[in-house]
Amino acid sequence: MRALSRIDQHRGAGRLRLRPETRLLLMVAASVSSLALGAPRALALLLAFSMLYAAAETRPRTLLMAYAFMGLMCAMSLACVWLLGSIFPPMRDAPLSMAISPFLRLGVSLNALLPLALNSRLTDLAMALGRLRLPGIVRLPLMVTIRFIPTILNDLVQLREVVGIRFRGRRGLLFWLRHPITWWRVFFQPLIVRLIRSADELAMASELKGLEPDTDFGGHPGPFSADDRLAMLMAALAIGLSAAAEMALRGLGHA
Amino acid sequence: MSSKTLGWGSALSGQGLFETRELVAIGLFSAAAKASSLMLALVGGGMNPLTLILKSAVQSALLVVLLAKVPKTGTLTLSNLIGLLLSFLLMGQHVISLPVILAGTMAVELVAWLCGGLARRPWLAIPMLAASELAIRLINVAVSFLGVREQPGLMAMVIAVSAFSYLGILLGLVGGVRMTRELRHAGLIQN
Repeated sequence: MRALSRIDQHRGAGRLRLRPETRLLLMVAASVSSLALGAPRALALLLAFSMLYAAAETRPRTLLMAYAFMGLMCAMSLACVWLLGSIFPPMRDAPLSMAISPFLRLGVSLNALLPLALNSRLTDLAMALGRLRLPGIVRLPLMVTIRFIPTILNDLVQLREVVGIRFRGRRGLLFWLRHPITWWRVFFQPLIVRLIRSADELAMASELKGLEPDTDFGGHPGPFSADDRLAMLMAALAIGLSAAAEMALRGLGHA
Repeated sequence: MSSKTLGWGSALSGQGLFETRELVAIGLFSAAAKASSLMLALVGGGMNPLTLILKSAVQSALLVVLLAKVPKTGTLTLSNLIGLLLSFLLMGQHVISLPVILAGTMAVELVAWLCGGLARRPWLAIPMLAASELAIRLINVAVSFLGVREQPGLMAMVIAVSAFSYLGILLGLVGGVRMTRELRHAGLIQN
């Protein structure tokens, strides 16, 4: 049915079929609560809950790849800290149990981000922002930005090819490092001229079509589904339990 | 409809502050900033110091040209808001710092407006951009500290990244001023 398909188009992929608004809300809640928590055990509890959410919404292979990349980044960060600690010994004073807190926070944020980034199309996200009653002066440029990123990327690839033809044989990094102004002229100036012309043409076209800042792009997808409500309830429960664990640990002097 | 006839509801939603053509220009320049930083990250092999400097230089030069094209109070705040929202949607960045950064940018724009505004004094764009980008980096460092407070050694990397990127911003301001002058000369930006 058309009415149902209209509602469904606002839902992304993923097993839970959550609306982008729900995923955005969960990501904000996860980031804020992980910053507020400080005890590693409370953060580990929140991380476990967030892993359940990520596992329910993301393919196992993708999730494992993301964890492997995060592990590599964390190992590099720890290596840098160890190097700095050997130069400035006071930096090594933090106990290991406390030192893992930043990485636990990173894990919570990653788990909340992956379902949003992998299951929602960018246009759906922009429409979700529109449905959140963002002012028209924010919605219109945001839609233009999202629509034109691929076009400008394509322009930049073409510019790169033109430069490749023009500076054949001497395009190495050293050449551009020795001639930064040439780089600026051949890459940046054509981009700016193209942007200004496109802005004028697009503005004229949108004015002729009667597009105003208060044009409604978002539509009205109806109330939240049972899945959305369940996900929000579980998130509130997970944050509440982690906060309770933090308070209990502080009371016992383990935080 | 002139802005004088708009009610409080319209004023709060921002209707009447900008024309459609100005909003389109802000959107396009934000898209160019995001696309060029994506391209530089891909071509430059990740976030090394050189890529960071180049990315920030292109971003600030684009802002200088945008402020010359749309010299209004609110342009910088709106452009920053679009960039931050896009980073938030694409990478989950700036969840915490978004309101603080916006408040900082608005404060800088308010000071510029009190000094006469961009329309009357176009050169204000340069100190305004330098101050707002510095404020953004300081806010990011402070928010990063909240995240890594148990491991202060990690702050060294955050500060180094911010310092390299601010150096790029300053270089981009110089390039942007030269570029704007040439565009005015060519008639692509009206005086």
